[in-house]
Amino acid sequence: MATGQLAPRLLQRSSSVAGYTNGTGPQHRRSFTITPSSRPIGSPQPPDMDRTSDSSVKGKALSTGTGASSQHSLLSASAQPRYDAAMQRPRKLRSQYPRGSTENHVEYILVASFDIDRGPVMEHQYPVAITGDEHMLAELMLPDQAHVRNQDWTIFFLHKDTSQEEDDAERRAKEERRARRKRKRDRERGIIHESDDEDGGNDDLDDDDDDDDDDWDDDLSTDSEPEGGEGPPLVYVLNLVNTKQDKTVKRGAVVKAMAICTRHPFLHIYKPLLLLALDEYFKAPVPETLAMLYNAVNEMDLSLMPKLNWLERHLLQSSDNKDLFVEKFEQMIEARISGPAGADVGQPLDASNAPPPRPTIFRSGSKAHIEGHAAYVVPRDTHEFESKVMYKGIPIPVKVPVAVMPEIVGDFSLIKLIQNFSDSHSKSPQAFPLHPHLTTNGPNTHPIIVLINALLTQKRVIFLGHNMPSGEVAEAVLAACALASGGILRGFTRYAFPYTDLTKVDDLLKVPGFIAGVTNPTFEHHPEWWDLLCDLSTGKMRISSKIEAAPITEGLVYFQQQNPAYANLVHSSSSSGSSASNDLTGDAAFMADILRCITTRAGERVVRAKWRAWVLKFTRIAAAFEESVYGASALYIGSDEQDPSLGGAQGHGYVWVDEATKAKELAGNVTRIEGWRNTRSYYSFIQDVARLYAIRPLKGLDLAHLHDRLRTQRLTPAQSKDIYEALARHVRSYDDICMLLSVAPESQAGLFYIALGLFHKDREVRFRTAELLERVAGHEAGQHWWRVLSRFEKLAYVRIKREAEAEARARLEKEERDGFGGAGAGGEIGERRVS
Amino acid sequence: MGASLSVSSLFGKLFGSKEVRILMLGLDAAGKTTILYKLKLNQTMTTIPTVGFNVETFTYKNIKFNMWDVGGQDKIRPLWRHYYSGTQGLVFVVDSSDHNRIDEAKTELHRILNDLEMSDCLLLVFANKQDLDGAMDPQTITERLELSKLRERPWFVQPAIAIEGEGLTEGFGWLSDNIKKMPKYGGK
Repeated sequence: MATGQLAPRLLQRSSSVAGYTNGTGPQHRRSFTITPSSRPIGSPQPPDMDRTSDSSVKGKALSTGTGASSQHSLLSASAQPRYDAAMQRPRKLRSQYPRGSTENHVEYILVASFDIDRGPVMEHQYPVAITGDEHMLAELMLPDQAHVRNQDWTIFFLHKDTSQEEDDAERRAKEERRARRKRKRDRERGIIHESDDEDGGNDDLDDDDDDDDDDWDDDLSTDSEPEGGEGPPLVYVLNLVNTKQDKTVKRGAVVKAMAICTRHPFLHIYKPLLLLALDEYFKAPVPETLAMLYNAVNEMDLSLMPKLNWLERHLLQSSDNKDLFVEKFEQMIEARISGPAGADVGQPLDASNAPPPRPTIFRSGSKAHIEGHAAYVVPRDTHEFESKVMYKGIPIPVKVPVAVMPEIVGDFSLIKLIQNFSDSHSKSPQAFPLHPHLTTNGPNTHPIIVLINALLTQKRVIFLGHNMPSGEVAEAVLAACALASGGILRGFTRYAFPYTDLTKVDDLLKVPGFIAGVTNPTFEHHPEWWDLLCDLSTGKMRISSKIEAAPITEGLVYFQQQNPAYANLVHSSSSSGSSASNDLTGDAAFMADILRCITTRAGERVVRAKWRAWVLKFTRIAAAFEESVYGASALYIGSDEQDPSLGGAQGHGYVWVDEATKAKELAGNVTRIEGWRNTRSYYSFIQDVARLYAIRPLKGLDLAHLHDRLRTQRLTPAQSKDIYEALARHVRSYDDICMLLSVAPESQAGLFYIALGLFHKDREVRFRTAELLERVAGHEAGQHWWRVLSRFEKLAYVRIKREAEAEARARLEKEERDGFGGAGAGGEIGERRVS
Repeated sequence: MGASLSVSSLFGKLFGSKEVRILMLGLDAAGKTTILYKLKLNQTMTTIPTVGFNVETFTYKNIKFNMWDVGGQDKIRPLWRHYYSGTQGLVFVVDSSDHNRIDEAKTELHRILNDLEMSDCLLLVFANKQDLDGAMDPQTITERLELSKLRERPWFVQPAIAIEGEGLTEGFGWLSDNIKKMPKYGGK
């Protein structure tokens, strides 16, 4: 209902980009099966928005991030135009994989076979030989026991360095583009500064078009994130091995393997193609067979997949909503239809007098789509982009994930991993030997918690699947990486060996801390090779008898000195009882919740979102720990200057109900936090925090902190007033709202705690909150959050909006009457209504 | 052979028999995998080259054998060493008809036995493929493999025809008798 009220105003906005829809827009936009009425369509860049984000890139707007907006009047009447501007996307939508990009989806195709005299050998490589140890590659492609099954999948990663020249050339080109953009931006800014805010925005829009091929985003960069600083991106290899019994050959069988090497983490989409191509190769063992596959996969068109920024990706990844950001897909299609590329979509060019029929857009799976009328389809689930690969004239459908997060590679199931190790734990719990980094809940710590602790503290972890296809151990390794990363931490996949065998063991052992998948049970007999062995066939984990003891660190000692009352709660090899029985870490409760989710079939996405929240919480607790013990932490960056206008909305970090709870939770976490410090994932997290700080909106505010205070603490009306007012005042732009949504995920309470501001005893707070919610409801992602807000809160919102309108009317009337010297009766009525 | 060699790992557990780790090595195509599955399943299987390894468990004379059969192509022989630790018995399989490679087999055998981790293990040699023309007899195999150089170590050469199952019972009979004498096997 309230959305209905919003709709007209939002739709009225017309702009140069939306303008192209004038002729044809109405009817084909109506053909979407799901069409929220208040959806903002492509909109121009509001000039002053642009400036805000520009300055934030440089880190100058330290005070509140949206320094400009805080100067604006707080009164609803004057805030209106600004709010409209805030709804608009600050930049042009780009494709994640633009047409004409020089980057191929797949870089190499390899074929290896098992030679009965020589063992594994490489047969062909296309388009050129991959550099590096060819023999090692062949060994990886022919996993142990390939001879006992007809078919097996494996995955492995290559750390392929781009050559020096390639590197330099790329860097130079990038710098040049960057410099060009900067010049352009500076010029624009100069123009904008001189002219009025109203115009001048159209110019930079045009400029933007020139840079379409440039994937370097100026504000919320998407490219600087995933691998950041740790060398070139990994090459992911998906490999299929087939064993064919053949009486005519010596020793009765042919074993061949074909592999696809790509830098995209969604390598699983190529599975059906590899099946076809390897079969083809058995018939025609020539390089042309490889070339055919190579060309087919590289012709896959993903150019209509919109590029999301990091906030949008986080929102999409942690949301179960199949419509989130559907507008972006529609925009991409509309731009294609109207743009110059529209000519090649198969419309008749010999248009006579009648204009060619417009290609229509349909939601995938809709009736019209199935009947085959649609030229373009919007995915039925925005998490996946649907495309196809034409292989030998057969269209092979593929689904590509839209929100690609760091460390999330391939197709795996966290649920499967968790269940595998939970079932045997619940039936016959095994007591682990104690290790401060691992058994944070004592000897009966849940195995999955032991696993994640091992990963966080950079132990050597092996997944063993004897008599299992190597694809299954690889999946477990990929799932473990995702578990520990949560899309937040990095440094796992780079040291993961989804499938490896004895031939690589010497190299493996040189890696400090790894995650490896093996099928050879010999690994079990070498406890000196690993710290934690996860046996997939029995569902049991073992801590190595030869694991290195955890050192006593300064942090641990300081913590015990500072908190003598809680010192004995800290886990050490000698004392463990208390942490076990009290569940200081909350992990036992967390695991119970996860298992409940799994049994109620909540789905993979929900479980991933919960783990993500666990990892995020861990980093925030670690930051709080470092601040309290070392006095400072690089795990959180906030504003140095305190903004007095924030009042009670200052502060940052994880929120506890009280100090005692905090001390207990820290005590439970001390050992693993200390174990995490000095690991790769710890250092790369610090880098990421710094890099994200440079590009994130609302630098001065810790929205998560404010939201947590509303959620967990008992606040005085004055305290909550400060928070609600800070939120209402500062959360304005598109990205601000994304940020707010990311700290209030749908899977938790959504907007519930923010909407509680509608019931604040201070009337100003109620009004401010209503305005904030109105902005959120009009936001591309926020509309979904708004839709699931409780009815009770929505009603309160409507009531407050009516009050505000009545008041405005009364004020007008009063002003008219004031002209005659009348008394302020209207004002009194307003007051009474509020109370 | 036969019933006494059937799979009865369950009984093994009930009666608390100990598990003995046996490693079976030899050049490629010597017949290792055939022996393994003849013992495990009492079936002659058509085997194909082993990619990596096979491992099976079976019980014989109340001893639970955990037997490893590792691929023999020369490129993958360096991996054998990873299987040594904890091995109580080495079963070395020789293709008795392959005169050309018997020296190669000798070199590999002595390389294995010289490893520190293999210093205490028993050695059973199967002089396999006795049915083929020109197969060397056990005496010749003993000489060609230079087994007399092994001093303290108990060793035994058993002629065998793996595809028929011939000689396997005798070989494993010797192995179980000697394992029971080993101090590692609880002094039995």
